[in-house]
Amino acid sequence: MVRRRSRAPGYRAQQWAAWAFLLPLVAYLLAFYAYPLYRNLDLSLRDYTVRSFVRGGAPFTGLANYRRIVDDPTFVPALTHTVVFTLASLVFQFGFGLALAVFFHQHFRLSATLRALFLVPWLLPLIVSASTWSWMLNSEAGVVNTVVRAAGGDPVNWLTSPGWSLVSVTVANVWIGIPFNLVLLYSGLQGISPQLYEAAALDGAGGWQRFWRLTLPLLRPVSAITLLLGLVYTLKVLDVIWIMTRGGPADSSTTFATWSYQLGFGSLLPRFGPGAAVGNLLIVAALAFGLVYIRLQRRQQGAA
Amino acid sequence: MRSLATSRRAVGVTLAVLVAVTSAACSRSDNSPGGAAAGGTYTIWDPYPQFDNSSDWVKLLTTCGSQAGVSVKRTGYDTTDLTSKALLAAQQGNSPDVLIVDNPVVSTLAEAGVLATTEDTKLDTSAISPNLVAAGQVGGKTYGVPIGANTLALYYNKAVLAAAGVDPTAVTDWAALTAALAKVTATGKKGITFSAIGTEEGSFQFLPWFWGSGAQLSTLDSAGGVAALSLWTDWLAKKYAPNSVINNTQTTSWQEFATGQYAFAENGTWQLANAKKTGFEYGIIPIPAKEGGTAPAPTGGEFVTIPVQRQSDRYGTARKLVDCLTSSDNLLATDTTLSYIAPTEAVQAAQAAKNPELRVWIDAVKAAKGRTGDNLGTKYPKISEPLWKAVQSALSGSQSPQAALSSAQSAAAAATK
Amino acid sequence: MRRRRAWWKTGTGLVLTALMLFPVYWMVNVSFTRDQDMRRTPPNWFPVHGTLEGYRAVLDQQLPYLGTSLLVSLGTVALTLAIAAPAGYSLARLRPAGGGALSFLLLVAQMIPGIIMAMGFYAIYLTLGVLNTVGGLIVGDATIAVPFGVLVFHAFMSGIPAEITQAATVDGAGPVRAFWSVVLPVSRNATITVSLFAFLWAWSDFVFASTLDGGGRLRPITLGIYQYIGNNNQQWNAIMATAAVASVPAAALLVVAQRSIAAGVSAGAVKD
Repeated sequence: MVRRRSRAPGYRAQQWAAWAFLLPLVAYLLAFYAYPLYRNLDLSLRDYTVRSFVRGGAPFTGLANYRRIVDDPTFVPALTHTVVFTLASLVFQFGFGLALAVFFHQHFRLSATLRALFLVPWLLPLIVSASTWSWMLNSEAGVVNTVVRAAGGDPVNWLTSPGWSLVSVTVANVWIGIPFNLVLLYSGLQGISPQLYEAAALDGAGGWQRFWRLTLPLLRPVSAITLLLGLVYTLKVLDVIWIMTRGGPADSSTTFATWSYQLGFGSLLPRFGPGAAVGNLLIVAALAFGLVYIRLQRRQQGAA
Repeated sequence: MRSLATSRRAVGVTLAVLVAVTSAACSRSDNSPGGAAAGGTYTIWDPYPQFDNSSDWVKLLTTCGSQAGVSVKRTGYDTTDLTSKALLAAQQGNSPDVLIVDNPVVSTLAEAGVLATTEDTKLDTSAISPNLVAAGQVGGKTYGVPIGANTLALYYNKAVLAAAGVDPTAVTDWAALTAALAKVTATGKKGITFSAIGTEEGSFQFLPWFWGSGAQLSTLDSAGGVAALSLWTDWLAKKYAPNSVINNTQTTSWQEFATGQYAFAENGTWQLANAKKTGFEYGIIPIPAKEGGTAPAPTGGEFVTIPVQRQSDRYGTARKLVDCLTSSDNLLATDTTLSYIAPTEAVQAAQAAKNPELRVWIDAVKAAKGRTGDNLGTKYPKISEPLWKAVQSALSGSQSPQAALSSAQSAAAAATK
Repeated sequence: MRRRRAWWKTGTGLVLTALMLFPVYWMVNVSFTRDQDMRRTPPNWFPVHGTLEGYRAVLDQQLPYLGTSLLVSLGTVALTLAIAAPAGYSLARLRPAGGGALSFLLLVAQMIPGIIMAMGFYAIYLTLGVLNTVGGLIVGDATIAVPFGVLVFHAFMSGIPAEITQAATVDGAGPVRAFWSVVLPVSRNATITVSLFAFLWAWSDFVFASTLDGGGRLRPITLGIYQYIGNNNQQWNAIMATAAVASVPAAALLVVAQRSIAAGVSAGAVKD
């Protein structure tokens, strides 16, 4: 009976099965993502005061909130910082993650334990990691400046000078993001059959060549996912910057994520409308990159 | 048939997991209370997460509850979170019965319609000093009762000042203070520490200097305002104050002072308990005004408020809870625990009798000003934010004090139109 | 020759790990520091006048929170796997129409800032009456991990050669059987990766815990830390001590899981 069903309109049965497996996910998405997304859109399209937030009755104002944030003097700095912060974080997180994954893939003594230890930063609540970096980078009592002074240099105001604040939060963010990249890329490396390497070695390919010609191309799907997810998560980064510099001084480390938070929750008088608008701009940016990713994936699948 | 069985199984598994976990959790935790019947559970939210269930504060709440004939469910939240939590809860009709919040937030919540006025709740505020109730008054109506007040003064390290040959009683205006800092740094110690962080704390710490120069919050870029900000930038330039003030919270600033390497620290009443633990002798002088005298310092401290409820018959018991919390005896105990000054004359006298050191602070609190006073109300947050941004800009060297305050004034004026 | 090279690698590995973990060492250092030495210039590399008061506070007060965190994190892992694994399988092998759109929606879903999600949940949870419950927090925390889990399972299961599932189908297994008995065991790597991520994200989550379980009797460790962050005073040695103590069970789990990943290398299941 089963065989008959799967042979005749096999496509239909498979579709049913497919959507049945997807049912929990779809239900979950509708219940838990659609509503907050709708609320965020609603917050950005209306003029909410604290009173109308509580009591209701906020007037619909269309894109006024968006216009307001684009006109705000913080908009351009926030945009620049978001781009710089995201690019730098991605490049270094991915770079270090890949280098470490390749390094640990060589299965020397203790490699498994050390690899596990690399994930420890991830266990710490963000308030603790961000605070620890904050302490280490303190202009007076921080250990980094102590080392700089001991080496004969001038102490740098890592968190309190407009020139260095973005660098400092980027370094801390890279540190926090390395474990994520390490795990994913290592997992990808695991998926490459060792026989391929043996074959390449037999063909006379050196270590570096094996990496460029064999590892990197085979890692492409995992790399793509890692980079895309890394992008999405980095765009959302809030706690690290907020705890270390509050986006300051003078907006020198403000990104869209911190700006959105500051508007909605960072002052005594919340401005939910503009905050939600900035948040939505972030979502749109991520959407754009998502589209790029899907197009690339389709092209790859088409070529394969 | 099979596909249906599949979907049923998948859904079944998920639901089973959910139900199992939820019921396991539900059997152990309380459900959130709704508008329960009389004699039931009353919820209290406060910004003191450092007090757990075994602390005197929570025991006091429970006792007040049993005196009012109800059981009390208390939750402590981080104070910066409490505003948005209160707004969200009010939106969903889930407000607590008693809400204790930081005083500059009261006007925001009142305007949002979250809080009930003292007319509705029949709370009695007659015994409270007017300058302390002012922060809880919006549009002529009062929305809560202060649980205690605190304010800022200058702590000093006796040994460091003695070694530098500075007499603390002679520090009565800005010039004398700067001269003292110069002498202290000459001996190799550090001058003064305070908090200039980009949050309300930064504004809080800047206000005594701002007001002490004669400036008002309605005009940020007046000559007095610029003078106050220039005072701070000069100190940083001459290294009388450390660069870390730009990121310091009041706690971090205190920790710097507690190392014993600083002569002065601008901090508040609540550090009194910590001051005794530092291991060196300390003293307190009021923050000097520009041309002499005591600078008006801002009032800190929380207000006990009663949020609007769907069933107004809950106000009666809520009022009993508040009265119990703010009764003279309980005020003395609470304010001693929190290291606050009591808001009524009678209890202040009792505090001074018990602890003569508090005299200085009681006088400071009497001279203090509410931040949302001067009829600023909800305009204050819109002015405070540009102000702390200006302070950050000037101290980090991005803008001169004049330029920073001018842009702050334009931003504030635009926001408060 | 080989042995020397291997030791050199171990040495480099140790140096790299030490560099990476230096901030963690600093955190432990602070957890033993007295309040008056916190801002000492220059700072102590080693807590010379150490104090145990931070740890004492943690052991007195934080252990129940640790238990709740463990419960929440394990629950999140279970729920995430239950939703994401079948979904990933479906997208990868069963190719539903509209699967591409769904993948895209998952990307969008991950972009929503956590605080917005939490605020939206507040209303739903309040109506359902599951506010301030552990179960509610589990369902909320899973939103962090589910889209990611689906993506990982999708990517991983796409890479499984068709021959394996075809072999199963030829033997008469339907999609469920194929999923359960063939694909899932082979996807052990992906399962462990997703579990790891889900556990760690749930373990260190603060936003959902604060909004959805802030008032409950069972609260996770990230909220427990806030006991040391009073409105006017912060006990940093206790905060760092809490983090240090909280990391221990999670770190133990990590080491175990990592070993499984290493052991579960596709030995023969995936041929080229």
